[in-house]
Amino acid sequence: MKKGDIFVIAAVCILAAALAGVFFALKKDGKTVLVKVDNEVVCEYPLDTDREIVLEHNTAVIRNGEAYMREADCKNQICVKSGKISKRGECIVCLPNRVILEIK
Amino acid sequence: MSSEQSYTRNQIKKISLYAMLTAVCIIIGYVESLVELSFIAPGVKVGLSNSIACVLVFYGDIKGAFAVNISRILLTALLFGSPVSLCFALAGGIISLTVMALLKKCRFLSVIGVSALGGALHNVAQCAVGLVFVGRGVIFYLPVLLAFGVACGAAVGVLSKLILARIGKSEKNVR
Ligand SMILES: [Zn+2]
Repeated sequence: MKKGDIFVIAAVCILAAALAGVFFALKKDGKTVLVKVDNEVVCEYPLDTDREIVLEHNTAVIRNGEAYMREADCKNQICVKSGKISKRGECIVCLPNRVILEIK
Repeated sequence: MSSEQSYTRNQIKKISLYAMLTAVCIIIGYVESLVELSFIAPGVKVGLSNSIACVLVFYGDIKGAFAVNISRILLTALLFGSPVSLCFALAGGIISLTVMALLKKCRFLSVIGVSALGGALHNVAQCAVGLVFVGRGVIFYLPVLLAFGVACGAAVGVLSKLILARIGKSEKNVR
């Protein structure tokens, strides 16, 4: 291990932390959640009303100002494990079913 | 019976070696896919199989590294993936290998630093593909992808260093 190694690893970590800081500062609470299927917007719901969004292959939920994917019939289940989103620009993607939840 | 273009002994050795390494990469990749890391960012992996490409790069066989890595990516996509996952994998694989091949000559870095930067840029490339396929929201994953990529890259570098140390002793048998 050379000094240069430690330097570049530290540099990337600092860059990541700086970016995280910037993004965190820029993040704003979203107002609505956009549901896209095949890259087309199919519906948009306000985040402040709890509801269930039932799609052909996925079920999304809006609860307490946050949106998440509750169920999906996709193989990888990445969308279900993606957690909750509430900040503008955040999204949950189900690539196999081509479903995207995006906060606006 | 003899075909027009016959391979030399050395070439046959190389082809079999690459095929075997590709198989090892695919198995490592499969085992990794069983470990759930999606809570970090969707679809992330440690990428231990990159140590094989990394070793080949440091062994001076950059063509071989590309051959093994691209075969691995294409076969993995055929076996377990989709066209979209192929785009992600190809972008990451090609960028990280190119970066490692270029940085290898840098006197200030050892395998570990080179692999760490390769890992970080692998994830940056995948983030860029995500911007195209998924949307702008993917940019929020960039910080965590950078940090995770550099950590995994460094781990792969340590592994590669161990492998290189072993190969060094029996270099004649490998080539
Ligand atoms: Zn899904």
